[in-house]
Amino acid sequence: MNIKKIILSALLVLGIGSFSGIANAECGKVVVANQNWASAELMAEVDKIILEKGYGCEVELIPGATMPTFTSMDEKGAPDMNPEQWANAVYTPLIKAVEEKRLVIANKAPITGLGEGWWLTPGAIKKHPELKGMTAMEILKHPEWFPYAEDSSKGAFIGCPAGWGCQLANANLYRAFEMEKKGWVLVDPGSAAGLDGSISKAADSGNPWFGYYWNPTSIVGKYDLQPVPWGIDFAGRDNWDNCITKAEQDCADPKPTAWTKSEVNTIITSKFAKQGGKAIVKYIGKRTYPGPVMNGMLVWMADNQAGGSDAAIEFLSKHEDVWGKWVSSKVAKKIKAGL
Amino acid sequence: MEFLNKFPVMERTSLMELKKGIDLSFRQFSRKYGDGIENFFDPLLFFLIKLEKLLLSTPWPIIILIIGILAWIGSRSWVLVIGSTLSFLAIGYFGMWKDCMATVAIISVCTTVCIAIGIPIGIIMSKSNRAEKTILPILDMMQTIPSFVYLIPILMLLGIGKVPGLIAVCIYAVPPVIRLTNLGIREVDKETLEASEAFGATTFQKLKSVQIPLSLPTIFAGVNQTIMMALAMVVIASMIGVKGLGVPILRAISNQYLALGLMNGLAIVALAIIFDRITQEYGRRIQKHRGQKK
Repeated sequence: MNIKKIILSALLVLGIGSFSGIANAECGKVVVANQNWASAELMAEVDKIILEKGYGCEVELIPGATMPTFTSMDEKGAPDMNPEQWANAVYTPLIKAVEEKRLVIANKAPITGLGEGWWLTPGAIKKHPELKGMTAMEILKHPEWFPYAEDSSKGAFIGCPAGWGCQLANANLYRAFEMEKKGWVLVDPGSAAGLDGSISKAADSGNPWFGYYWNPTSIVGKYDLQPVPWGIDFAGRDNWDNCITKAEQDCADPKPTAWTKSEVNTIITSKFAKQGGKAIVKYIGKRTYPGPVMNGMLVWMADNQAGGSDAAIEFLSKHEDVWGKWVSSKVAKKIKAGL
Repeated sequence: MEFLNKFPVMERTSLMELKKGIDLSFRQFSRKYGDGIENFFDPLLFFLIKLEKLLLSTPWPIIILIIGILAWIGSRSWVLVIGSTLSFLAIGYFGMWKDCMATVAIISVCTTVCIAIGIPIGIIMSKSNRAEKTILPILDMMQTIPSFVYLIPILMLLGIGKVPGLIAVCIYAVPPVIRLTNLGIREVDKETLEASEAFGATTFQKLKSVQIPLSLPTIFAGVNQTIMMALAMVVIASMIGVKGLGVPILRAISNQYLALGLMNGLAIVALAIIFDRITQEYGRRIQKHRGQKK
């Protein structure tokens, strides 16, 4: 008898629990891409809370990464939203998708002051003070300052992990600058963990490190990575879009160029733009994280080993001055009550 | 009632402090000893690089010939010799020769390291019940702990490259050879052992001339499993910068290149089948030999 009661009450609780989930769904179900790096995680979780508490959506986060998420959104119309789409990697198809009204660029600059490029560890500058202020073109003449572990007669340039958009760009720049002839090896760190690991290993032991990274990231803040000026002009969109970002076989003759100015967008599918309504599109359009605030959040996440969901709560409770401007005061109240 | 509904959790801040403390102490450890440990593994790196260079600089027909000969020595079966030759020809024809040789190099070195470490540990385990009791749970852990978890400390200690990749592969691949060496020696017939004792054999003589020869087929099954598991780890090893067939697979996963992924995946499968059949046949032949003598 007693056991029956317990089971019954358990079923009842479960039933009520699932009902309350459905009751929230005004704007419907929204699938948001939760890409596998810290700032994207934070943005996805913040969007999740704001859309759920403020606009009554039912948000599901699904894992993603630059290329797969974009391909899926473009081809399949799902997920509905990518909070942090790095546009350089997908420039041509993105423009096409926007023209053909499959995707909408809802926010042209969700984070200010960001960029991709080549960086040095402070240890490199300490060991070779001449590096200070050197441009990339000058550094390329000195592979001997960055000895490669597997062949010390060569210099190691740490590129991008396989499969990232930037991997193709780095590989093509490697050819454009004739780095092989100059005695460099393009090292594939294999994964995000490999890339970060190679930086923290070098920074911790004070060894020189030269390679690709981007800002805003906790790694740049934590290890004080120094950006390298290019010492060469940007050689035009045509070279970049139709060659540098393409696979090697599609880019026969890459021209030397600086890195393109980074463009990050929040993109949503046109289906979600209709389904979500004007209020949500307006919120996404206003949602801009100032660079220093974002960097501060990322260092907080790294220091506390916090995931995106913890960081989102930290952000929403500490930085109301930032997100308060994104939504109407009525919605802001709802979100604050929901925290 | 609240106690029952809510699991008593360690306080959030102290939990965070604990995690941070573990991280910090490991970071300090790796700062202090990282370079030393790296130097310790230098000979291994040297060997790996030399082997890969040798495999790549040798003209391909010679490599294929060597593989054919190895297949013949191992299995004495024409089917296997022709099969492995054709597979390697196909791998080369589809432009995977370089990656394939890098994979063969790391798998060979890894298998050698695993055998060198695994068989002595297996022998120790078979000699002492206490050693068996302590080592078995460690082996269980090595086989089940997700490889991404131990990639983090390996990365912090050794950075990216061949050696950390090799260690990651070995952690996963060494247990079978240890387990089966232990099992094989323990399973040797008691009466045979008694007979050798009656002839006055010392412990070492018993081990060398009775126990190891009789357990060889089982040990060989372990080596075979170790090779298979090492091949299965190729993709994971590529995530920390090991060149080989895993790299194009990672690229294929992130870019949805179906054909690229499939081709390289099948190349790994082909390698696995060749290694597996040759070592298995070899193991069977040893057994046959024993059967005839009986």
